[in-house]
Amino acid sequence: MFNFLSEVKENLKNPKGLDLTGFNIINMSGHLLYVEGHMGLVTLSKELISFKVKKAVIIVEGQDMILSELSDNTIKICGIIKKIEQI
Amino acid sequence: MKFKNETKFEITGLNQEKLLNELCKTVSLSDIDRREKNKTSFKCSYFEHKKVEKFLKSKNVKIDSVAHESVAYKFHKLFTSWGLVVAIVLFAVLYFLQGQYVVQYEVSGVDKLSEESVVDFVKENYPQKKSQIDTEAIEVGLTATFPRISLVSCMIKGQTLVINIKEKLLPNEMYGDFAPLVAEKDGRITEIELISGTLQVKVGDFVQKGDVLVEPYTIDTSGQLKKVEARAEIKADVYYEGSVDHYQTYISVERTGNIAVENTITLFGLTIYTFKEEHNFKMYEVEYEDVELSKNLVFPFKMKKTYIYELSERVVESNFEDVREEYIAMARESALKNCENTDNIKDEYYTLRHLSGVTIVNYCVVIEEEIQTYESEAVG
Repeated sequence: MFNFLSEVKENLKNPKGLDLTGFNIINMSGHLLYVEGHMGLVTLSKELISFKVKKAVIIVEGQDMILSELSDNTIKICGIIKKIEQI
Repeated sequence: MKFKNETKFEITGLNQEKLLNELCKTVSLSDIDRREKNKTSFKCSYFEHKKVEKFLKSKNVKIDSVAHESVAYKFHKLFTSWGLVVAIVLFAVLYFLQGQYVVQYEVSGVDKLSEESVVDFVKENYPQKKSQIDTEAIEVGLTATFPRISLVSCMIKGQTLVINIKEKLLPNEMYGDFAPLVAEKDGRITEIELISGTLQVKVGDFVQKGDVLVEPYTIDTSGQLKKVEARAEIKADVYYEGSVDHYQTYISVERTGNIAVENTITLFGLTIYTFKEEHNFKMYEVEYEDVELSKNLVFPFKMKKTYIYELSERVVESNFEDVREEYIAMARESALKNCENTDNIKDEYYTLRHLSGVTIVNYCVVIEEEIQTYESEAVG
């Protein structure tokens, strides 16, 4: 099946040979955040949503955020996204 | 057009992130909204709501509400509504049951025969259940019972029994109620044209209303009486009369021209103002007039105007010869009032009778017209 992100990865040159298989996050205009490859929700509130990814936790801060989609592998966050942090 | 097939859950419980993580492994969730620390709402596919419910119950999570926003749910609810199901079943049963019976009768081709008598006969003597109806038997029965029927055919069309009848063609003389022809008006017979029957009058006879003109039978050469329809055209001079009385002296009551007015204003039928002009009329007559003072329904003020006219008596002397033509015309008009057709006026004349102080004008108009009618019509 065609995957846009896989195509992008193949076309982008990875000069240092880093591992790009963990997860993908796309922030669309600060209002929609699409996450692929999450490993479970950690925190859920209107101002803060955090979830586990491979070897890290991603923290998303914002306003009036809701999880518009949650499946086994993907997350879609809607709202005003102010900050995305990986720890 | 996109049909929604979603179910919205509102749940209360601790550690909801863990719960959602476990749930999303089997079911895709959407619109997850954490309203409070312990309260969350989310949506899932309507077709997976039972799986979600089962999961939540297994985790001892309190489900606050479950709302279905789904076309499929509405269809499901429609077809599992017992009232509707019972109504559909009842309708089907009743439709099936009543479909077994003939509920309407249609008779065509009858002229002399009565449609009701045919329908009554069929209703009384044959079953209404379609499976038990033998159309051939009905045809035989109708032919045997009604001698006027020449040919008859029956068929069942839906829930209607169609009876098509062809009547025998008999001479006109054999129909009718064999009622005698009678005189419709008083008069003197002038012309007779007999078509069938036996005449009871001759030209020149004076007849009164109700007198028999033609009997509904004939007697043949062997002396046998045979019933026939009484038919004839009989013309007669019919006399229409009218009269007017003229008095030499009479009292005439006339208005003097003096008027007194009385006004009353009312609201909802209650009198709220009255104005009355004083008068000392010995004789008077009164006229009333109602006037709407406002056109709205909130305050329907009305004014009742009463006009009081003074009257006076006057003795009038009149000479008959001065008004003779006028009174004769009035008497003629009175005579013509009773005439239906004034085209055939044969003659007209008047007579004067002078009594003490009174002259009576009698006017007579002679009109030739047909006077025969059947007895039943004359009574009607």
